[in-house]
Amino acid sequence: MKFYVCIKQVPDVDAPIQIKNGDLMQDTDRMVLNAYDASAVEEALVLTEEHGGEVEVVLVGPDKAKETIRKALAMGADKATHITTEDDVDYDSAVYANILATFFKDKEYDVISCGKQSQDTDAGLAGGMIAQHLDLPYATNAVGLSIEDDNLIAKRQGDSGQEIIELPQPCLVTCSNDMNEPRIPSLKGIMQSKRKPMETTALSDMNLDESALSAKTKVTGYMEKPEREPGQKFEGEPDELAQKVANLLDEEENVI
Amino acid sequence: MSTDVLQKATGLNFELSEEQQLIRDSIRDFVERHVKPGVKERDTSKEFPHDLVKKLAEQGFMGMVHPEKYGGGGVGHVSFCLAIEEIARWDASLALTVASHTSLASGHIALAANKSQKEKYLTPLAKGEKLGAWCLTEPGSGSDASGMKTTAIKKDDKYILNGTKIFITQGSVGDTFVVLAKTDPDKGTKGISAFIIEGDWDGVESGKKMEKLGMNSSDTTEVIFEDVEVPEENLLGELGRGFVDTMKVLDGGRIGIGALSVGIARGALEESLKYSGERKQFGSPIGDFQAIETKISNIATEVDAARMLVHRAAWLKDQDKPFTKEVSMAKLFASELAVRAADEAVQIHGGYGYIKEYHVERFMRDAKLMTIGEGTSEVQRMIIGRELKKEFWG
Ligand SMILES: Cc1cc2nc3c(=O)[nH]c(=O)nc-3n(C[C@H](O)[C@H](O)[C@H](O)COP(=O)(O)OP(=O)(O)OC[C@H]3O[C@@H](n4cnc5c(N)ncnc54)[C@H](O)[C@@H]3O)c2cc1C
Repeated sequence: MKFYVCIKQVPDVDAPIQIKNGDLMQDTDRMVLNAYDASAVEEALVLTEEHGGEVEVVLVGPDKAKETIRKALAMGADKATHITTEDDVDYDSAVYANILATFFKDKEYDVISCGKQSQDTDAGLAGGMIAQHLDLPYATNAVGLSIEDDNLIAKRQGDSGQEIIELPQPCLVTCSNDMNEPRIPSLKGIMQSKRKPMETTALSDMNLDESALSAKTKVTGYMEKPEREPGQKFEGEPDELAQKVANLLDEEENVI
Repeated sequence: MSTDVLQKATGLNFELSEEQQLIRDSIRDFVERHVKPGVKERDTSKEFPHDLVKKLAEQGFMGMVHPEKYGGGGVGHVSFCLAIEEIARWDASLALTVASHTSLASGHIALAANKSQKEKYLTPLAKGEKLGAWCLTEPGSGSDASGMKTTAIKKDDKYILNGTKIFITQGSVGDTFVVLAKTDPDKGTKGISAFIIEGDWDGVESGKKMEKLGMNSSDTTEVIFEDVEVPEENLLGELGRGFVDTMKVLDGGRIGIGALSVGIARGALEESLKYSGERKQFGSPIGDFQAIETKISNIATEVDAARMLVHRAAWLKDQDKPFTKEVSMAKLFASELAVRAADEAVQIHGGYGYIKEYHVERFMRDAKLMTIGEGTSEVQRMIIGRELKKEFWG
């Protein structure tokens, strides 16, 4: 079976972020493979190890994002396509979905999988939009995947149980990071990743028209989270304090 | 002639390659997932972590620098340093296991063995299927290794090996021992040779575990050899060249000790940074007091300096350039920094630094080995002095 996994390079969530005059200041040295996509790669690897086949990762992003492709190859993906963009484009999810859907149009595959969202924007839109463009059956936020006959079985987590969805292939699924623990690349995997095929296609060569590449939504600025109001402080004897807190909870907050 | 420290490394490039970054990130993830949890428990139980070593082997981290055709990773020593630093950041004992296994026993075999010895012994070591122990030090000879008493006397097509080695890392868990012995006691250093010995041969006995100040989950024991019959083909390197090779093996090993020291110092720094932001006294975080800030700034500066010295030595080795002086400088500076940084970290943590709930007291105990093992600080200064004089006095 053929898996395509869409992956994205995102800022490391542990890297400090600053907002200056409405602009986001990021440490561009600390970019990582989106954690949800890492789970999608892991699951594709597990399923192809079990059923045979091939995993190809696809990334839309600037030159620098190659390192993230390398990581997916080091984990075990068989090959990669890098659709290169300029360094600082302001594409929204719809543009990325247009690009990826165009890429997939003439491809053969059984499953396209994506992270359920990306760590940087948490938008969670691209997967569904791609499926819509390609007219594919799709399921979102899967916590488990399996193959039965020619169907993909996706499990989704609910509050009190799991929903089990059957999708005829070809199909698209978006993956939760609760699905698995993505493997850590071994040294061998890292060394082999150098020798795996990586195709680079410039976005400008894909003949997308102007409107497909212009974002319909626009980020106009960033704001700090407002500071929380400080809590109230009481001083005094324990029994007085207990009385005070009890009154507060009872009368003002109506908790008791 | 100038003492320009960069004379042997002029094309400066501080950027890690994509491969090096991937290696560092992978080992960092590994440490976060498997090494950090349980590190205090391992320090207390003092048990050798066979499970972790097995996992490291599966990831390819037990023989990174050895050739791929002998089961190794085929990467350079800078990558090795990155890995050792990451492990030592949390668990110096484990880093010592990896560093000594890779650079000493395996390193000596990689350096001096013939093809069939490499196939037989290096491959399982580099894959991490077997553990290596390197036996140089004796009760009566440490810094002056040439004073060793162990002998290997030729008898027909065998050598009969007798002697006692002490402080041997992997001394009881090791499978493959590289042992230095006198084959010609009258010839001084030119009468010393190396042998590969299998741990289950008759006459090989591991003594009891040595109770240590730190590095608790690293295995350190005496190893006693009594009339061990060593087949001729297990002579490692040329007869009488054992001491020359030993000096080379130690040069290589010091890269790892340097990186290990950087890892401990970085741990001390990061724990101090964290704690000094959380702990408040006199109404403000202690990190806002200039006295504390100064300590942290000094350590941070020296950690960077130490790492650069260590990476330079590693880079020189990878370029096949002489690096004896540079690696002694790196090991000296980094190891003394590890001790200093851990000491300051305990100070910054106050009373909490002195108790086992925090990591820094372990760093302090572990760090002290760095200025002793693989040549004491005094010995490093002797080497640096000797090399300088060679360069200047001719
Ligand atoms: C935990 C641990 C693990 C070890 N692992 C191994 C191992 O795997 N394999 C192995 O072979 N060895 C190992 N060693 C041994 C280690 O390498 C030696 O302890 C070290 O080389 C010092 O030797 P020594 O202990 O005999 O000290 P000594 O040589 O007796 O030194 C005592 C003091 O005298 C100083 N001194 C000695 N000579 C001079 C001089 N000429 N000028 C100035 N000062 C001098 C030293 O610097 C030191 O301060 C290990 C040691 C420890 C503690």
